[in-house]
Amino acid sequence: MSRSDVLVDADWVEAHRDDPGIVLVEVDEDTSAYDKGHIRGAVKIDWKKDLQDPVRRDFVDRAGFEALLSERGISNDDTVVLYGGNNNWFAAYAYWYFKLYGHHNVKLLDGGRKKWELDSRELVTDVPARAATHYKAQDQDTSIRAFRDEVVAAIGAKNLIDVRSPDEFAGRLLAPAHLPQEQAQRGGHVPTARNIPWSKAAEEDGTFKSDDALRTLYSDAGVDFSNDTIAYCRIGERSAHTWFVFHELLGQPNVKNYDGSWTEYGSLVGVPIELGDGA
Amino acid sequence: MTGVTQSAAGGCGAPADAARVTSAGNQAVVQGTVTKSGSPVSTGYARLLNAGGEFVAEVPLGADGGFQFFAAPGDWTLRVLAPGGIRAEHPVTAAIGEISRVEVAV
Repeated sequence: MSRSDVLVDADWVEAHRDDPGIVLVEVDEDTSAYDKGHIRGAVKIDWKKDLQDPVRRDFVDRAGFEALLSERGISNDDTVVLYGGNNNWFAAYAYWYFKLYGHHNVKLLDGGRKKWELDSRELVTDVPARAATHYKAQDQDTSIRAFRDEVVAAIGAKNLIDVRSPDEFAGRLLAPAHLPQEQAQRGGHVPTARNIPWSKAAEEDGTFKSDDALRTLYSDAGVDFSNDTIAYCRIGERSAHTWFVFHELLGQPNVKNYDGSWTEYGSLVGVPIELGDGA
Repeated sequence: MTGVTQSAAGGCGAPADAARVTSAGNQAVVQGTVTKSGSPVSTGYARLLNAGGEFVAEVPLGADGGFQFFAAPGDWTLRVLAPGGIRAEHPVTAAIGEISRVEVAV
């Protein structure tokens, strides 16, 4: 796995978006972004409505994922190119999610929607019509998904990377600064977690930093690349961005995204919590 | 808290046109608009940097060129990015119970 296998740039998208077997997918929390304009040919996935179980806090099951991709006209053999807003947070989350259900050919558009917009590239409102498929998913690959007990067991044993902003890590804020701070759970972080905000992996235009710069960033922050790693944030999408960096760009084995993240951990009874800015 | 309809409160995203609060309540709100020659800049991004210059949050500009953050109290830098290589920066101080306005002309 190398960078060119998992990342494409805007020129590549413009050259290949009409190729058979290429499907562009915009993934946003704010689906009105897609409706106002998207890359020509792109279909939409709503990270919440489409990817979360409507009742339990969990993902749609395998049959649900199969139904979703079949309805969107995505085949098992298609190369899915994901992009989205928020510096590709939700696109990276969808990337991880597609991998979780065994889709092999997935790529991210480097810089996502932001760089595309800042470069003044074309956005359209036409919604493509894609014929339905019969998509077959695999069982979840839990080698890339961490659950709460693994996180507690990883305290002091594995690399725990908290990719939220420093104020969230310290417990001064419970959500990113663009959201209201009315959450009910406790603030702070998992003991022994290192605070390496996701944003340090990205340039201002949303593209990923170079492999060398990324390796230096995490090494300098005390990450032991010979150890297993669990990344978390608040709900698992910023940490999917960091999971992508570790697992897909840097080729690290044994990297998991903890999608329960702080909204789960910070509400658990009896688990240890650390406050403050950390070491 | 009242006065907030946050359609995406379950996530970390930033709906461009999420309702802007008219009363800060117990939050430290930073709001403003970005204009160019008096017209709103509706394609672009507002970034909030902490006192150390570290990135903290980013939102796309709304159709009216507006943005909103719920910050911690303190000193921040607001940076605007827009197509055509436009960049602008303004200092802003946030305080609990206040809406701090930043009007950015680029």
